[in-house]
Formats: sequence, structure tokens, C-alpha cells
Amino acid sequence: MATKDELVYAGEKGRFTLYTGLCKGCGLCIEKCPTGVLDWNDVLGVYGTPSVLPVAKGKVCTGCGICQQLCPDCAIKVERTRAG
Amino acid sequence: MEFAQMPKCWRKQTKPHKFCPGCGHGLVLKALGMAIDELDIQKRVVFGCDIGCSLLAWDFFDVDTVQTHHGRTTPVITGIKRARPELIGIAYMGDGGGYAIGSQHLVNAAARNERITAILVNNTNYGMTGGQMAPTTLPNQKTETSPYGRDVEEMGYPTQGPEMVAAITREGAYVARGTVARFKQLQGYLKKALENQINGSGFSFVEVLSGCPTNWRTNAKETWEFIEKDMAKYFQVGELKGSGGKEG
Repeated sequence: MATKDELVYAGEKGRFTLYTGLCKGCGLCIEKCPTGVLDWNDVLGVYGTPSVLPVAKGKVCTGCGICQQLCPDCAIKVERTRAG
Repeated sequence: MEFAQMPKCWRKQTKPHKFCPGCGHGLVLKALGMAIDELDIQKRVVFGCDIGCSLLAWDFFDVDTVQTHHGRTTPVITGIKRARPELIGIAYMGDGGGYAIGSQHLVNAAARNERITAILVNNTNYGMTGGQMAPTTLPNQKTETSPYGRDVEEMGYPTQGPEMVAAITREGAYVARGTVARFKQLQGYLKKALENQINGSGFSFVEVLSGCPTNWRTNAKETWEFIEKDMAKYFQVGELKGSGGKEG
């Protein structure tokens, strides 16, 4: 069973959580991110591949949740921050 | 332990699942899981998986599951549905099992208008055995057994499954082709296919265009390009039958 190790990135628009015990490093989310904010990072996923975080320089995560929808392993959770 | 982003009917203890990184099966089963959750039918579902990569889904859901060989998942689920009509039978298979070695089962179940839901994942090759040419391999696509590309003069044209099933089924059947690149649409198709069975209207069939980065030897960018451009060009995505009166 997957460990619950998680990487959290709390942005202005949303809170991005990546479960490293589920991420296989396929990169499908990086290609589909509309703002191009997702990038590889040094923490390794379950198969020893780099995992992802929305930390690309000069880009902002809008909390749209497309990465969560298109992750075949459900390794990403995006919670949108409520405005106001 | 709870993963809030996973469908409720997924079996959490078996995750991460056994499919390769980037495999489309995970997405299809996620869409199916969400459709099952939406209809709240987890306790009534019997899930049948076939041989090939699709068998790796044998412990995927927290529902009763049976695994069979070579397209036989369709008749096995048909038998279960006939014996226990209150259950909801899902036959899950790949293109090798459904269109090649087990196509007779699919054709006959469709012609008899069995009240089951068949889901066929099309990744244009035989994934588990190493990427050999399948009935759905695109013209000029290179695989292990067509190293110079599929020559349609020599090897014929790829199978258009939903078109065939739509032609032989009766009124009341539901036939659609979705793609993992349009997740919400796919989820809607799968939900309609399950509702069609719950209503007892007839055979429901959904083919899903899916990716196989391991055997295609593609990176993430090329995988999406192949699914969205090359595959969608030959295999038209949409509902072919039973979409509330309007066809095509």
C-alpha cells in the first residue's frame, strides 16, 4: 500500500499535494498543465523517478485541477483556495 | 488511510496500481470508478477483466471481480447477468482480446443485445507481450512485428470496433468511442453506458483511445500527440448509437 508521504505546495489560488508513494513520474500532467507551472523536482516517486511540483520559475498555479484529473495514478490532489 | 482524490470504489490497499507509468488504463479505470460512484452502484457491480494488460485490473476495484482469457470476459459477464439480472456486469478488455482472439464473443453478445456493459481499451498494440501489431494498429505505425510500419496492402486496415457494433446492435443499444485525452467526456460516456444497462435497454459498448508509452517508446509529449492527433484522426471520437435519439 502506498505510503502517505506528501509534498505540499501552497499557492495563492490553490493547495497542491503530491503523494510520492503514488507518483510514477510519467509526466502526463506536465504536458497538460495550461500554465506550464508544473516541473520535475528532486524528491523521488515510487519508481525512483523525479516527482512533480508547481514550481516552474515565472509561472503561477491557478488551481484549475487538470493535473489531478489527468493523473492515471491519482497522485495529485488540488484544493482550490476560496476567494475572499 | 484515505486518498480523497481517488474514486471511492477504488481498492486503496492495491495502490499504486500495477500499470506502467503513463498507461491509459489508470485513466479509464478512474473515469469508470467515478461513474460507478456517481450512480452509487458499487455493491451491485461485477467487474470482469480479460487477459492482457487489462487483467492487471483484477484487484483494482473494491467490487466482485472475475478474470477470464481471450475475450471470454464478455460471455462470462453475460452468464452472470442472466443468472442474476439485478447485478451490473462490466466486461473490461483490451483491443487484442476484444477485436482479435475474442471478437466472436463481442460480435455475438452485441448481436444478441445482451444487457451488459463492455468497455474496450484501444492502445493500438498488444501491450503485455511486448508491443506486437494488433487489429487496431494504425496504417504505417511501427510495432515489434511491423518494423517497417503497417502496410495496409499486406496487412489490411485497422478494426473500427464501435462502428461495427453500432451496425449489428438493435435499438436501445449504446455505442460510443471516448478518449483518455477528454476525461470528462469519457466519464459521461461510461456513465451513460452503465445507465443503459441499469435501464435494461440493451448492449452498451464504449471503446476508449488510450496510451501505451512503454511500447510506443514515447515520452509524455509524444504520447498525448499520438492519442490526440494520429489515433483520433483514424478513430473518430463520439457517440455512435443511443445518445438520446440523435445518432452520429
